[in-house]
Amino acid sequence: MIRLRSVSKEYERRTILDALDLQVDAGEFVFLTGPSGAGKTTLLRMLYAAEHPTAGEVWVAGRRIDEMVRAQLPLLRRKIGVIFQDFKLLRRKTVIENITFVLRIHGVAPREAHRRAMNVLRRLGLQHRQAAFPDALSGGEQQRVAIARALAYQPRLILADEPTGNLDADLASELLSLLCDINYQGATVLVATHDHAILESIPARTLVLHQGQIHYDGMWPP
Amino acid sequence: MIRHAFAEGLIVLRERAVVSVILAFALGVPIAFAGVGLTLQHWLGPVADLSGQNSSVAVLLHPQMESGERRRWIAEIAIDHPRWTVSEVSSSDLAERLQRWFPYLEDLINSGDAALPSLVEILTDNPDSVTVLEGRAEVLAIGPRSSIQQTLGRVARGLALIVGVVSFVLVAVAVLLAAVWVHLELYRHSDEVIIMRLVGATEGTIRGPFLVAVAIPGLVAGILSVVGSLVTVSGLSQLASALGLSAMSIPASVLAGQLAAGVFLPVLAAVVTLARYAADATEG
Repeated sequence: MIRLRSVSKEYERRTILDALDLQVDAGEFVFLTGPSGAGKTTLLRMLYAAEHPTAGEVWVAGRRIDEMVRAQLPLLRRKIGVIFQDFKLLRRKTVIENITFVLRIHGVAPREAHRRAMNVLRRLGLQHRQAAFPDALSGGEQQRVAIARALAYQPRLILADEPTGNLDADLASELLSLLCDINYQGATVLVATHDHAILESIPARTLVLHQGQIHYDGMWPP
Repeated sequence: MIRHAFAEGLIVLRERAVVSVILAFALGVPIAFAGVGLTLQHWLGPVADLSGQNSSVAVLLHPQMESGERRRWIAEIAIDHPRWTVSEVSSSDLAERLQRWFPYLEDLINSGDAALPSLVEILTDNPDSVTVLEGRAEVLAIGPRSSIQQTLGRVARGLALIVGVVSFVLVAVAVLLAAVWVHLELYRHSDEVIIMRLVGATEGTIRGPFLVAVAIPGLVAGILSVVGSLVTVSGLSQLASALGLSAMSIPASVLAGQLAAGVFLPVLAAVVTLARYAADATEG
């Protein structure tokens, strides 16, 4: 599902990723961890083509995406559900509109989009907030809306950047079990986190990034 | 996604209602001005050549001339007078032109009983030179060729030039206003555009609302310009009738052109602005 070959990324002569090689197979659940500035977010951004590597190849879902032109990106991104660290919700749209909007982009009919959005909101305990605007929600609620949006169209690959950062322990645990459910249904899940409690809650393949390189690749706890 | 473009475009319009109204008027007024100018040109066209320094002189030919004879006569005239441009008025325009050049034939024209005489128009920089045709058997009458024709032509040309330049400048300003507005809206909505890109929206989905947001004031501008032109031309036409001149009317093509320009110009400005800045204004 994901393959990186000698991927490097530099910002103003500072190396963020250093000749990284990585393979994640379809259906895997992988944690990506490391200290702040290790390159976790940069790596995730590369996987949905918001960043381009300075060198190397990035393959996602069988397509080399570092060479894609802008017009090809929408189709790639429709295969990926991204849970952003800063939520990236549309401020002028309600909770349900944030979700139905993405479904409509995917070609889902309005009524079906509304049904699916309500299902995923129910799953995340947000059905009572469907008409609220993002600014009226707490950080945790906004995080859950961002998750609902990423899950609504059942993507083959889910990339989550610190998805539990704004959630309390119970909600974080619920979210992880939700991601596990989706993984059991066949989706590949890559979660970037620096929260050790999360890492230890589920035995899964874990990649430890440090100074732009993978220092550990295996089950966690070791 | 058309529904999405309209829904989002209407939201942008609602948020910027005052700018939308200003844009509609800024576009509508010069387009109306241009429409009136074109109507005046259309009205004066048969009397004065508006593209050069020439004037038209009408020559009424004998009604019993056959078409072959007429063609031969025109060809001979053209050879004898190389500085003239001679053209025969088509049957579809004949009644209107006869009435304009020879008002005393009105009863004959309106009776519909008799075959109308043929009419040729001679374009020349020296209208008096056409008098050489007087007395020829084929020629029944020669239309007015006084210097007023040339004066009218000069005034009409000057008027057309002024109307053209003023209309162009005002339309250019309005189009620039549309482009700047779209540019500012693009930056104001840059966060949303980034998010839309990241969740897989195509450029069409992203740009559609901006195009709708300028197309609607453009349509209003087109309608305003049509109404403005109709009112102005109606007033001018009444004035012309009072002076004993023929009535004016706006050609349908001019009205259609005004509507199309109202929509097309701001949309074109938006398309160019989005093509130039949409990628720079937003990452992803």
